[in-house]
Amino acid sequence: MKTKHKLRWLAGWALLTSAALAAAPAYDFYLCASVNKGYVTGSKITTVSGLFQREADGTWHHIGYNDMSIAAAAFDPRDHNVIYTAALNGCWRTLDGGKTWRQTNDWTITEGRDIAVDPHAPDHVYLALPDGVAVSQDRAETWTRRENGLPERGKYTQTIRVDRSQAGRVLAGCETGIYLTENGAESWRRVLPTTDTVDDIQQSYHDPKTWIAVTQSAGAWMSHDGGATWAKLDGVPSEHTLYNVTFDPRNPQRIALGGWDAGVLTSEDGGKTWANRTAGLPAPHHVWRVGIDPDNGLLYASLTKQTLFTSADFGRTWKAGPFEDSAINNFISLPRAEK
Amino acid sequence: MKITIPVLCALFAASLLPATGQPSFEGPMPDRHVVTDANVRRQDYNRRADEVVNWYAAQAKPGQDLGVGQILAKLVRHEDEPQVSQSVIALMKDPGTGPFWMFPVVGISMLGQDQLSPAAKKAIRDMWRTTYQVRGDTENHWLMYYTSLYLIAEQNPNEPANTWYTGKSSAENLAEARSYLISWMDLTTTVGQGEFTPTGYIAEYSIPLLYLATWAKDPAMRQRGQMMLDWLYAELAENTLNGVLHGPNSRTDEREVVERGNTAASFYCWLLFGNTVPPQAYGGFGIYFAVAAKNYHVPDVIYHIAVERDRDYTQHDLKRTRRRWRYSDQLSPPVYRTNYTRKDYAVGSIQGGLIDPIQTHVWDVTWDVPDPRGVHNTIFSLQPYSANRSMQMYFSAYPELMIPNLAVEGKPSYDLSTKVIGSSPYEQVFQDHDTVIALYNIAPGTRFPQVNGFFSKDLQNVTEDKSGWIFAQGGKTYLAYRPLAGYHWEKYQHRDGGWAKEVKDLGDKLLISPHLQNGTIVQAADESEFKTLAEFAAAIRALPLEFKLAPEPTVKFTTLRGHQMAFTYGQTPVLDGKPVDYADWKLFQSPYLNAEKGSKRLTITHGELERVLDFNTLTITDRVREP
Repeated sequence: MKTKHKLRWLAGWALLTSAALAAAPAYDFYLCASVNKGYVTGSKITTVSGLFQREADGTWHHIGYNDMSIAAAAFDPRDHNVIYTAALNGCWRTLDGGKTWRQTNDWTITEGRDIAVDPHAPDHVYLALPDGVAVSQDRAETWTRRENGLPERGKYTQTIRVDRSQAGRVLAGCETGIYLTENGAESWRRVLPTTDTVDDIQQSYHDPKTWIAVTQSAGAWMSHDGGATWAKLDGVPSEHTLYNVTFDPRNPQRIALGGWDAGVLTSEDGGKTWANRTAGLPAPHHVWRVGIDPDNGLLYASLTKQTLFTSADFGRTWKAGPFEDSAINNFISLPRAEK
Repeated sequence: MKITIPVLCALFAASLLPATGQPSFEGPMPDRHVVTDANVRRQDYNRRADEVVNWYAAQAKPGQDLGVGQILAKLVRHEDEPQVSQSVIALMKDPGTGPFWMFPVVGISMLGQDQLSPAAKKAIRDMWRTTYQVRGDTENHWLMYYTSLYLIAEQNPNEPANTWYTGKSSAENLAEARSYLISWMDLTTTVGQGEFTPTGYIAEYSIPLLYLATWAKDPAMRQRGQMMLDWLYAELAENTLNGVLHGPNSRTDEREVVERGNTAASFYCWLLFGNTVPPQAYGGFGIYFAVAAKNYHVPDVIYHIAVERDRDYTQHDLKRTRRRWRYSDQLSPPVYRTNYTRKDYAVGSIQGGLIDPIQTHVWDVTWDVPDPRGVHNTIFSLQPYSANRSMQMYFSAYPELMIPNLAVEGKPSYDLSTKVIGSSPYEQVFQDHDTVIALYNIAPGTRFPQVNGFFSKDLQNVTEDKSGWIFAQGGKTYLAYRPLAGYHWEKYQHRDGGWAKEVKDLGDKLLISPHLQNGTIVQAADESEFKTLAEFAAAIRALPLEFKLAPEPTVKFTTLRGHQMAFTYGQTPVLDGKPVDYADWKLFQSPYLNAEKGSKRLTITHGELERVLDFNTLTITDRVREP
């Protein structure tokens, strides 16, 4: 079922990236793209969507099955050929780098929103769902609901992250706030209440105690104690939905976030001040996702119904890239040393 | 946006529809006599199924690849096998994904078992291995998806995981599909269907159930398919007026609530009961049913409910809302439906509130017409609710993208102030017999803070009375419509079905009442009850009516039938001094259909005929009762 499909960047862009990527990449860098072009359930897919990996020459190649619904992907740190995707059908897993896939769940699990692997217990996989959280302890062979401490109603889970510094420590972004487990989802407690969905949570590459979260209607929040307590970031507006946030793997002071009408906001002082970096992006500034290439610091912005845009100067100028009429749903950086 | 689209009409099938009409669509209305001879009824039914198949087969052009409907028709007729096999191979080179693609391919596989070439069969089998199939996100999607997976896994048993797109073996696929199908049947037969009384989507339920009844190798699953079809069509029979579906629907579109006879439901009434005409091109999906139609027999009792009624009747049914992922205390709150059906009109409603975010029809009066084609035989009002947050309740979507995407994904009217479909959290409805009170308490800041009343081009003698009532006649039905706040008139801008881009002025009007606290009262009556419309109007004017709009809309009204309806927004409605007890609502309660909540057991009755569908024992019991 494997398809491999190269998408060529614009010519100028390819030149730029090929120079930047002259050194051997230290990371594997992936994205999940939904390229729609009028698709509705049942119609023929005329585009290639799903998981893509950035190659050294700046091109992207498609891995695995063609699916517009892939919301997120996670990898086994021991073997990057073991990939899990959160998608409309639930969770798909490949053990051979995308050649063959298995839908790991039955009908009781659907519409995977996010997925994460515990680096300290790589057989443990956490799946964010519209009706809660499912956990596998056997590489997605079987799934168990682990929702003790999540509310009976209000556990719509949009995002889930494992704390890389402690096995079994996981943060989940739900419709009613951020929930924390420190025992592999045996029990959860709410560490930040919200009235709307928490859309993204990220852990700093540089300080594992530092986390940042963005929300639908309550702006952005930062934690410096591993997600136990949170403080609102005053410099980030709350009137727009913020879809995602990312730390720069190469620079501890750099953070970028994106949102609907919020455009792209960046901080170069660890979140103290923020600059709007929307100039140069096409209006309306409906930014769906931002990402940072861990090997060269390139900032990516996915705008709805647009191509993927890239900036070599952290948002000061932008260039149009590939993935026309797409929504990028997820960026994933994996240190190659993990392999 | 992501693929989690609230779906949909079948783009896949629609793209294959021939453009012209067909014999019964263009022919005269059938007369309304009851066919008492079961053999004659059966022959008529088979002849209608053949009409669909033959017409599709006739669309085939020599030398050209066939579409899915044509392939199926040719397989039924056992003709042109080389062309059919070649067309199947061509089709599988560019496959679709998802349930709308899957079930027609299952039909081809089953009908083609003994006809398709080995290469064509291999092309189909390879497709199930190589093409990722998306499960979808609605009740009808899942029924189609899992029925398809069930049947195709059963047809290809003992095959390993690497031969299926799911990465699961035949046995695993079969077990998962079976588990879901039984779970869905259990849910539907205990607390009601989520996508209830669908106008167009009845095809999406009928076809997979027929395929189960026809092709499942497991006799229990075949029986389940048969019984669920009976369940579905018993409801259809009870909720139609001479072949025209009336009353509330969970999934519908503009055309289907305005021109009530122009829906896929009419295809099934035509085919099953012979009491109306089919929509153009047999509703699009008709061919998929017709190719296996002869494997289903309409029970006598259901036929008679559809065509032969000797009294006015009230039915109370229990349904459920679409699944709510978030921003709600309940996953799938109950829906309480009331229908009152008379010889020449029917009045139907659900209690209001958010039911399904996109395509609900909450209440109406539908009157009978000699020929429903092109006739807008209905009157109703609604609050045209549109909100990102309600989309998020039901879909795993981000707030802003859903509404703009709906406009290009089959729901072009969702975000229009003048739309005529949709439920609202600010609407509450109370019905007794042929009286409806709809109250609106719209939150300040709500998008489209107004109430839309639909006034058909086919209403006659529309009169705005000094009393505040608006009187009119539709067919043989007198209608009184009372807006509780000021209003103005606008032309109704029609969008013909889900995918239409064109806006048409069909001559209908909208009563627009732009007030947050609001209400509508409608009283219907048969023209035989009064000498003239003026006499009806005088009777309505004389009815005791008290209302106020603040602090909450509240109405006390004594109906034409002498019942006292007291209704305050946010409170339990009171009928003749007694609060309505929704907790006591049964799954079905009427002269024709009866089932206790949670029972999995439906009793279908007409005259001396009775059929009991018991999903606890998977039995169908027919008996003739003593007169």
